[in-house]
Amino acid sequence: MHMADALVAPAVAGTMYLCSAAAAGYSIKKVKLENDAKKIPVMGVMGAFVFAAQMINFTIPGTGSSGHLCGGMLLSAILGPYAGFLSMIGVLVIQCLLFADGGLLALGCNIWNMAFYGCFIGALLIWRNMMKGGMSRRKIVAASVLGCVATLQLGAFSVTLETLLSGVTLLPFGAFLSFMQPIHLAIGLVEGLITAAVLLFVYEARPELLWGGEEKEEKKQAKLTFEKTLAALAVVTVLVGGALSLAASSFPDGLEWSVEKLTGSTQLEAADGIYDAAASIQERTALLPDYGFKSEETPAGTSFSGIVGGLAVVALCVGCCYLFKFFRRKPTHE
Amino acid sequence: MSKIDAALRELTLLEEGAEEEKYINKVHPLSKLLVTVLYILLVVSFDKYDLAGLLGMVLYPLILFIVFDISFAKCVRRTAVILPLLLFVGMWNPFFDRTPLLLWGTIPVSGGMLSFVTLLVKGIFTILAGYLLIATTSIGKLCAALRMLHVPQVLVTVILFIYRYISLLLKEADCMTRAYALRAPGQKGVHFKAWGSLAGRLLLRSMDRAGEVYESMCLRGFDGSRGRGAFFAGVNAGKFTGKDFLWLLLFGGGLTVLRIYPVFEMAGRFVIK
Amino acid sequence: MSHIHITVSDVSFGYEKGKKVLNHLSFEAGESESIGIIGSNGAGKSTLLKLMVGLHTDFSGSIRIEDMPVEKSMLTKIRERIGYVFQDADSQLFMTTVGEDVAFAPRSYGFSEEEVARRVEKALGAVGISHLKDKQIYRLSGGEKKLASIATILSMSPDILLLDEPSVTLDPKNRRNLIRILNEFSHLKLIATHDLDMVLDTCKRCILICGGEIIKDGRTEEILTDRKLLEENGLELPLRYQGDCKY
Repeated sequence: MHMADALVAPAVAGTMYLCSAAAAGYSIKKVKLENDAKKIPVMGVMGAFVFAAQMINFTIPGTGSSGHLCGGMLLSAILGPYAGFLSMIGVLVIQCLLFADGGLLALGCNIWNMAFYGCFIGALLIWRNMMKGGMSRRKIVAASVLGCVATLQLGAFSVTLETLLSGVTLLPFGAFLSFMQPIHLAIGLVEGLITAAVLLFVYEARPELLWGGEEKEEKKQAKLTFEKTLAALAVVTVLVGGALSLAASSFPDGLEWSVEKLTGSTQLEAADGIYDAAASIQERTALLPDYGFKSEETPAGTSFSGIVGGLAVVALCVGCCYLFKFFRRKPTHE
Repeated sequence: MSKIDAALRELTLLEEGAEEEKYINKVHPLSKLLVTVLYILLVVSFDKYDLAGLLGMVLYPLILFIVFDISFAKCVRRTAVILPLLLFVGMWNPFFDRTPLLLWGTIPVSGGMLSFVTLLVKGIFTILAGYLLIATTSIGKLCAALRMLHVPQVLVTVILFIYRYISLLLKEADCMTRAYALRAPGQKGVHFKAWGSLAGRLLLRSMDRAGEVYESMCLRGFDGSRGRGAFFAGVNAGKFTGKDFLWLLLFGGGLTVLRIYPVFEMAGRFVIK
Repeated sequence: MSHIHITVSDVSFGYEKGKKVLNHLSFEAGESESIGIIGSNGAGKSTLLKLMVGLHTDFSGSIRIEDMPVEKSMLTKIRERIGYVFQDADSQLFMTTVGEDVAFAPRSYGFSEEEVARRVEKALGAVGISHLKDKQIYRLSGGEKKLASIATILSMSPDILLLDEPSVTLDPKNRRNLIRILNEFSHLKLIATHDLDMVLDTCKRCILICGGEIIKDGRTEEILTDRKLLEENGLELPLRYQGDCKY
């Protein structure tokens, strides 16, 4: 799910940009180490492939709806996680610029939520560890599904967290999560299956294209294999479980919970809270109340002057623009 | 398949826009990119209740749309893309935040309603700003601007490659899904038995294509191993002139003023007085 | 420059072990010759061209371009002198605009920006598409793409041009235009194709390949009027000689 610019506060956007940039910097270093000149056009064309393939509707049997494939996971399974990550960034940049899927500001979040988890958790952690000791059809399916589910669960969790931290929604954390996680569990399963189907086809036709199959790993890393896989599974389980239990506990009284959060814990403080909020609004919207609408000292007065002023300024601006255009065009006619 | 068609149409529309000879098309891409990012940043930074101040930010897209005759209708679809998400996230606010903050005439406006509307307006403004950038600037030029901002070469190159091959692969995907649909009447999408082979074949073709592209690059002097042919260094944004600096200064300054002073409020008081 | 020629002697090559695509090929090509390399699908025409530009170097026998043997260490120099036009223009043209793409080779070879600009203008002019310089590649027509991909090669001002199925995907008008442009070039040209009518219009000499071997090397009129020879090797008479053909 692409975050929109309006959903992120500048601080959240900045933080996520930094995180994504760090991951990208590391990936660039790794890709350069590989020193494979052919990788660059392959990254580009495969990025375009993911873009196009994500537009194909795959019917989910037994339902009327359709699913799509998981880009990060698929790209990484072909290109390796580092090149895959860079390629996914490219896809997200293009989607953001050309198709308004996500925004310039939210790009850092989107890279993290979709590309990072897909390439680093889905592929680097899960896919690679499962493919050690040879590939098989069963392993490909298991790794794809597990990887996609983990990717989407973490992604959905991050979307929730980023949105809440940005303070644009008052939806309680638990309620939001309990909505996001199960839906993305379903989406993850479907995406995993579609991705698995595509990778299986590649495995049958040109197995040499798949990444991670006969990689010679250092022994140190090989030792960690089992623990790493376990750790990944644990993360997913904790996330899903945590989300579900949180949701279960908070949904019935979610409304109260949030009001409490908004206004303070006790009734008295609540009243203060409302007062403070209102006062701060008035401060912001009703600059110097005594200049406001004559007999009014409430925010309504300021909003009235706001409307009048808005109309006046917009009219003035539009007028100026047309005048500007009028005078600019004239000389060309003569 | 309509989704692919729509994407291809959108690509063509944007490209036609970027090819026009308007003044704004010739403004340096870096200048436009920075102003756009600043605008989005300022819009997002408004407090969730500060609708009055936020509305002042309408002036920037408004002026550009009118002065440079940019089609507003073409970007309506883009706005529609993000609205569902914003609606979903924002629609709960009126339920949770019922504190009345304003009176519109006799109707009390709760904080939740205000923050909901603010969120939607922010969404629309940011989309408009993004559209104004991409409808007047080609991806090639934007990438050159990214290079000027020291975005790594590899990344910029990959973006350019993706952009180059998107339309081609979209058309191939379109052909394949059409051919599939013609032989599978009554099916809405691709049946699960064909999931792997349909997308998989497209994948293999893309890999072959990438191999040929690499050969074509090598034949024309590209040699990654020796760093020969500083890659795509040539994508040129043109010179950053005084005019471009003026553009940056003018809009940057103007937007900052709009952010700090509630221009609409002040003008309103002036008019009423 | 005085001895622009290609020498292919006893070249054999296979993509997989045991499966030979080319089998003991030998021929020479001299200055400003125009040679049609004809054969049915899978005869090895494209592979032969790819070997000459060093896209595969693990062949047996030897290929010399001018006085340079085709081997890894010489590739940069060889590719300056010899241009290869891909069958699929979309693979050849990988930059976003025509101008950028044509400028790719001179830039990679480290020419100054002024020189690059001069070469781009010249190359685009030579194929008559100067007006398309700033156009996005994906918005070109098939014919324009083919001309643009030839221009990307001309920007290096090579002495030798190799063209792989240049007329495929072109409509009759674009095809005629291509033939006209090709005939204007004084380069040594090798054109791999099964468009025999085009060979008649562009090449005096013709090499017939079948199963990776040279079946006949001679004057175009002789080979392309020999119905028996052509049919034995999976080809048919050019359309213009098929007036009496009954289907």
